[in-house]
Amino acid sequence: MSDPAAGARALELLGLVRRFGDVVALDDVSFSVQAGQMVGFVGPNGAGKTTAMRIALGVLRTDAGEVRWLGRPVDAETRRRFGYMPEERGLYPKMRVLDQLVYLARLHGLEPEDARARAAAMVEALGVAERGRDRAESLSLGNQQRVQLAAALVHRPEVLVLDEPFSGLDPVGVDVLSEMLRGQADAGVPVVFSSHQLDLVERLCESVVMIDRGRVVASGRIEDLRAADPRRLVRVEVSGAGDEWLGRVNGVRVTEPLPDGGIVELSDGVSESAVLDAARVVGSVRHFSVVRPSLSEIFRRQVMR
Amino acid sequence: MKERSLWPIVARREFVERARDRGFQVSTSITLVLLVGIVVISALFNRPTTFDLAVVGRGSDAIARDVAAAAKALDIGVQVHELADAAGARRAVAGGDADAAVVDGERIIVHASPPAQLVGLIQAASLRERSKQALVSGGLSEQQVDQALLQAPLPVEALEPVNAKHREAASVAFVGVLVLYGQLFAYGYWVASGVVEEKSSRVVEVLLATVRPSHLLRGKIFGIGLLGLAQLLLIGVVGFLTAQAVGTLDFPSEAVATLGLVLAWFVLGFFFYASLFAVAGSIVTRQEDLQTTMTPLTILIVASFFIGISATSNPDSTLAVVASLLPFSSPLVMPTRIALGNAASWEIVASIVISVASTAALIPVATKIYSRALLRSGRVRIRQVLRGREA
Repeated sequence: MSDPAAGARALELLGLVRRFGDVVALDDVSFSVQAGQMVGFVGPNGAGKTTAMRIALGVLRTDAGEVRWLGRPVDAETRRRFGYMPEERGLYPKMRVLDQLVYLARLHGLEPEDARARAAAMVEALGVAERGRDRAESLSLGNQQRVQLAAALVHRPEVLVLDEPFSGLDPVGVDVLSEMLRGQADAGVPVVFSSHQLDLVERLCESVVMIDRGRVVASGRIEDLRAADPRRLVRVEVSGAGDEWLGRVNGVRVTEPLPDGGIVELSDGVSESAVLDAARVVGSVRHFSVVRPSLSEIFRRQVMR
Repeated sequence: MKERSLWPIVARREFVERARDRGFQVSTSITLVLLVGIVVISALFNRPTTFDLAVVGRGSDAIARDVAAAAKALDIGVQVHELADAAGARRAVAGGDADAAVVDGERIIVHASPPAQLVGLIQAASLRERSKQALVSGGLSEQQVDQALLQAPLPVEALEPVNAKHREAASVAFVGVLVLYGQLFAYGYWVASGVVEEKSSRVVEVLLATVRPSHLLRGKIFGIGLLGLAQLLLIGVVGFLTAQAVGTLDFPSEAVATLGLVLAWFVLGFFFYASLFAVAGSIVTRQEDLQTTMTPLTILIVASFFIGISATSNPDSTLAVVASLLPFSSPLVMPTRIALGNAASWEIVASIVISVASTAALIPVATKIYSRALLRSGRVRIRQVLRGREA
């Protein structure tokens, strides 16, 4: 099979379809993640993110379409070089942390010696080296999360797929994980992760894939999605005025309320200065700016229409 | 690219992790200690009895000689101690140094209840001795008297003679059934709870991203089965060596053969039951629910166990013969029937063939249910999984 993208260092999901009984979980889902790229996979609950990721990893089968890596359909042998962190975290509760990592590394094809060295290096890098001989169940949830990440990375994956990797992490954990993922992407690994924390996705990723009810509703560089968004948004705050006054201004719709105002979308024919004038009438304007739609704004518009 | 087999790696983990488990090590040690204890204690109780007989005074010597001779003929050990006076004899009996004392050929002294065998020997000897005296004083020559009195004991014809070899084979087989039952149950349960552990901890999804469900299952069964076999071998060898050391076994080579049978049928039975236990584990998500799905298997094993026990005393009953051919009960019945020499060779071959064939037929079905149930949570209906498609 020849393909224009053949040989490209990209993970490609092409026309994936998956039904569960009468429910269509994925309906012709296609997107790709280039080597060195970190892509956020976003969508409301039940949109099909987990199903798509499971199919990419071969945990689930697809009814139609295929998954490609380096231009070739992936088989079991190729998938062993992928790294995966499922949404439902899973470790053997009674197995020692290091043994667990060595075991997974072996299953991913590493030789025993290499597997041991990598496992030791991973716990070191993730700051859980002193817990290496403890059983997984005796670790705090945060540390278990780190071990889970180590499990996804221990075999030097060529591709990283992570389902909600940031959920349940404290801010420090988020920073550590962000850095690790960034490092992987910089090393040329395509990284795709799902998340509901859109501000985080916006900060970390250049590109996103938005999925809703089994279909990709938007994808590409966040910058391009912004540029393609025709809405004009204004952020305005008036000291001590509360957030109700905006509702009385004609021609604007509040998209995100803030304590003393909010972000509003302007209707056609309403100028930014008209909003500023309305604000001045209410009181002392503390903040006024023209804003570009955030990822959350774009998401709401794509998903909630 | 050829896919490398991952199941040996899975098997290795199952073996190592479980062998390392503190609970496993403790229970194995307890089993071994109990086994050694039982063998040693039973050897002490079964030791052939030797009586200590104290004799005092005139007329006792002849009785003692006669008792010793008769005891020898009957394979009873009697140790004769000549004592100086009646008081000393009483002390010896009271202190337990002698089981009975004969004083002046006139009285028998015992401590509490008379040891029947010994007292019987003494009474017979004394009767002979006094009859001899009476007859000699009545004019018969000593030679004539001896001719009349010293008759060989009557031969005993047992309608069902005790076959020592058979009896020992039966008791070795009994222990074998007991141990096999424990092993099949414990290791089958381990397979089931291992499957549930992977499901409930969700680690199964991480595994499935690299291992096929069929390989995961195969690795689990082989790893746990190998550990079961190793433990069985250890128990067998320790039990055998202990029994040899204390001299319980009169037919050691038969015991070794029985041990071999037990090991062979553990393998046959384990693969059969392990596949079923894996299914029982795969259709639940919580350990608490496992008891319910294992119940039919529990009943099968326990029923087979009772048939196996009854076969040690009655290896030719219709029930035992049929059960020794059925795949779920043959591991607990056939080794006994073979050890007792009651199984025809065609029965043995048929039993093995049926066992292997049914296991071979069972494994694909079990693998199918297991594979499809792995990612489902809650209680999975088997019929529903079989009708559905692959994950």
